[in-house]
Amino acid sequence: MAGNSMLYSKRRIKNIIALSLSVVATLIGLVFLAWILWETLQQGIAALKPQLFIKITAYGEDGGLANAMVGSFIINLIGILIATPIGVLAGTWLAEYANGTKLGESIRFLNDILLSAPSIVLGLFVYTIIVLPSTSLTNGSTTFSGWAGGVALALIALPVIVRTSDEMLRLVPSTLREASLSLGIPQWKLTTQILIRAARSGIITGVLLALARISGETAPLLFTAFGNNYMTFNPSDKMSSLPQMIYQYANDPGEGLHAIAWAGAFVLTMFVLLLSLASRLVLSRSKVSHD
Amino acid sequence: MTESAAAGIHPQSAATHAPIAPTKLTVRDLHFYYNGFHALKGINMDIPEKKVTAIIGPSGCGKSTLLRIFNRIYAIYPKLEAKGEIVLDGENILDSRYSMNRLRSKVGMVFQKPVPFPMTIFENVAYGIRHHEKLSRADMDIRVEQALRSAALWDEVKDKLKQSALGLSGGQQQRLCIARGIALKPEVLLLDEPTSALDPIATGRIEQLVEELKSEYTIVIVTHNMQQAARCSDLTAFMYLGELIEFDRTEQIFTKPGKKQTEDYITGRFG
Amino acid sequence: MQANVGAVDATVPQQEARARRDARHDRLFSWLLKGCALLVLACLLGAAGATLWGGRHAFGTFGWHFLVSDAWDPGSDTYGALVPVYGTLMTSFIALVIAVPISFGIALYLSEVAPPWLRTPVASAIELLAGIPSIIYGMWGLFIFAPFFADHIKPWLTNYLGNKPDDGKLSWVAQHTFLGKLFGSDYPFGASILTAGIVLAVMIIPFISSVMREVFQTVPSRLKESAYALGSSTWEVSWDIVLPYTRSAVIGGIFLGLGRALGETMAVTFVLGNAMQLSASILDPGASIASTIANQFSEAAGLQKSSLMALAFLLFVVTFIVLLIARWMLRQLAHKEGR
Repeated sequence: MAGNSMLYSKRRIKNIIALSLSVVATLIGLVFLAWILWETLQQGIAALKPQLFIKITAYGEDGGLANAMVGSFIINLIGILIATPIGVLAGTWLAEYANGTKLGESIRFLNDILLSAPSIVLGLFVYTIIVLPSTSLTNGSTTFSGWAGGVALALIALPVIVRTSDEMLRLVPSTLREASLSLGIPQWKLTTQILIRAARSGIITGVLLALARISGETAPLLFTAFGNNYMTFNPSDKMSSLPQMIYQYANDPGEGLHAIAWAGAFVLTMFVLLLSLASRLVLSRSKVSHD
Repeated sequence: MTESAAAGIHPQSAATHAPIAPTKLTVRDLHFYYNGFHALKGINMDIPEKKVTAIIGPSGCGKSTLLRIFNRIYAIYPKLEAKGEIVLDGENILDSRYSMNRLRSKVGMVFQKPVPFPMTIFENVAYGIRHHEKLSRADMDIRVEQALRSAALWDEVKDKLKQSALGLSGGQQQRLCIARGIALKPEVLLLDEPTSALDPIATGRIEQLVEELKSEYTIVIVTHNMQQAARCSDLTAFMYLGELIEFDRTEQIFTKPGKKQTEDYITGRFG
Repeated sequence: MQANVGAVDATVPQQEARARRDARHDRLFSWLLKGCALLVLACLLGAAGATLWGGRHAFGTFGWHFLVSDAWDPGSDTYGALVPVYGTLMTSFIALVIAVPISFGIALYLSEVAPPWLRTPVASAIELLAGIPSIIYGMWGLFIFAPFFADHIKPWLTNYLGNKPDDGKLSWVAQHTFLGKLFGSDYPFGASILTAGIVLAVMIIPFISSVMREVFQTVPSRLKESAYALGSSTWEVSWDIVLPYTRSAVIGGIFLGLGRALGETMAVTFVLGNAMQLSASILDPGASIASTIANQFSEAAGLQKSSLMALAFLLFVVTFIVLLIARWMLRQLAHKEGR
């Protein structure tokens, strides 16, 4: 009897300890989140000045990040414009044409791997297929460009878009397919005009998530878009981007540059978090309108 | 023609009455398999023109499967196989040379749950037509209106044709799907448990609509609701475990069924 | 009847022509889609091929020696992968050691312990961690965490556990266990392999915990209920029922986190110290494959550039294998559910 109650209280204590540790673990996670966001907010807002959005990085500590923001905008735009059509079509193929086939399953599997592949290696891949060949065309002056940066980001956005399109299209009820096919509508029309439209908000969510993902990417831009201290709107030039400029300034000994880097970090974080918030809103609104 | 009609209807009933109308669809020794499972076992039946034929039976008996072979919608899924013949106006529609386009413009289908396309009410009806015919804008308007009127939906939606079809009620959506189907001017209309997702009032309107539509269309309706079959069909087929047990005039089936199994099902002793 | 048949026949050629056209369009369309899907394959093959091709010079010059040599000397133009490979593996290993128990705790808290109204907000907050760009982790690590680490954590570790304490008096632990070497350091700054490991851990916690939480929810409630009915405690149900049931997917989630950690560039580059030297201590600075590439590639040429490419190839192959295992493990549970 005494042994039993000993066993019982031992088990109870073990349970209490384990559950308390789970609370501690969650608190650790939340503390780091709060710490990172707080520092970014505090240091970023302290350094936020109008000139950040007006002046270019060529002025150094007296400058801003205008060219980096413009560069980021153009490179991200190129990346999304390349990745969206390819990604949606590839996702459509996985969901509508290849569901259950060996090739389809393998590509879905490999897409998941590409999703977490090291972005720096993808950057080197684009360096090899775009920067190097164009360098040889221009007699040896290395031709880093916004285009190359955009392609590198497209490779990172692609698997995100493929995956969400695939998943969202598979959620479209098969009755919709049957209903359209029973009207004699061909598969390609069904796919482009009905299914993709039905899954539209899910696909938009995927594109927004992909945009959030690539706007924070730095590593693949280092050897593709490279960086540029002057304002340029031409993607054939070297281009700077917000993350790349933050990287450069943070590694610089100058305190003034650190402040600008923090301000850039603040802008970038806000942008990315707002994007992921927006993507959630799009998705939840679509659920309401569909039921 | 009369020969095939006599042979097609189940022997029991063929002896008791003459065909009530010319045959539209003839099913000959139809077998159906999915993933090796023998789902339909030698179905033979003659479906008469411009009548309502109901198919009843417990769930899993193959009644929906049979309906889905009539317009070959099953063919969009892999590993499904139909053997035998279904003759529509003298041609075997199971023949791979019979084009899907032609089949589906002749045989329309309405599904269990209403499936409006994610577009406006007008577009829902016009979308299918546009694929089969080139119509002027005015002709299209007329055609859409006709279809919506035939489906008894026009008065309810005429002021909101440009609104999304997803905003309609379940019953309205289902009538929209019927309008979409008849807008193609099919000859045969297949209804797969069209009221199972609807409330009694909406169900009543659909049944009324079926009654009105049979003057122009050959209608085949699958239902799990025996009263519905009794109320709105001219002929009733009873299926059980993939076989056609009995096929006869509706009043015959519901008053003097020829088979014990039919009687048991109708009186609610199983199923 | 006769007239009817005639009328139908008149439109048959039209319908047949349309059917043929539709079939042609369908075929073209499906080829287009398939081509796009194959691009995914091309990306992976291309990334492997490009880095292998770029690294051929280094592989050809150093052979297998490249993998085991700790030399990285642009002066004498000799390069070996050992230092960055060690740094990559060690930082990722530390990250896992820290992140796995914390992630498990978070998943346990969110699926079994927390009151229902708290679950969604806490889960979203943890997922927010995954949304923060890695460059932000890097900045925070460089300016905030590394100094904090150098001031508050490192002295404690070096003095009480390490074999190079400030006052020269070795602790018992340092004298008698391997921890002495592991934590011994006279490098005065916060950047180190351990710092990088901690920052990586914070980065991968949301990935691992969200996979764990997701798979914990797939455990059939009748399984948990029957264990509770036998009088099991929450912890016992989690440890004895939930964890074994979801084991393969949990391992998959851990490998997914590992894959992320191995390839992470920015967060690591800032806090690793970028020293091309091999040290037994995790409080000394080091280098990882990704940080070495990020730091040196723009200015490298010839054999050094090729060596960096070769490093990238190694990284790609290793992460590919890790992610392959991760996805395969995750799929096991999906199959179990499907049946």
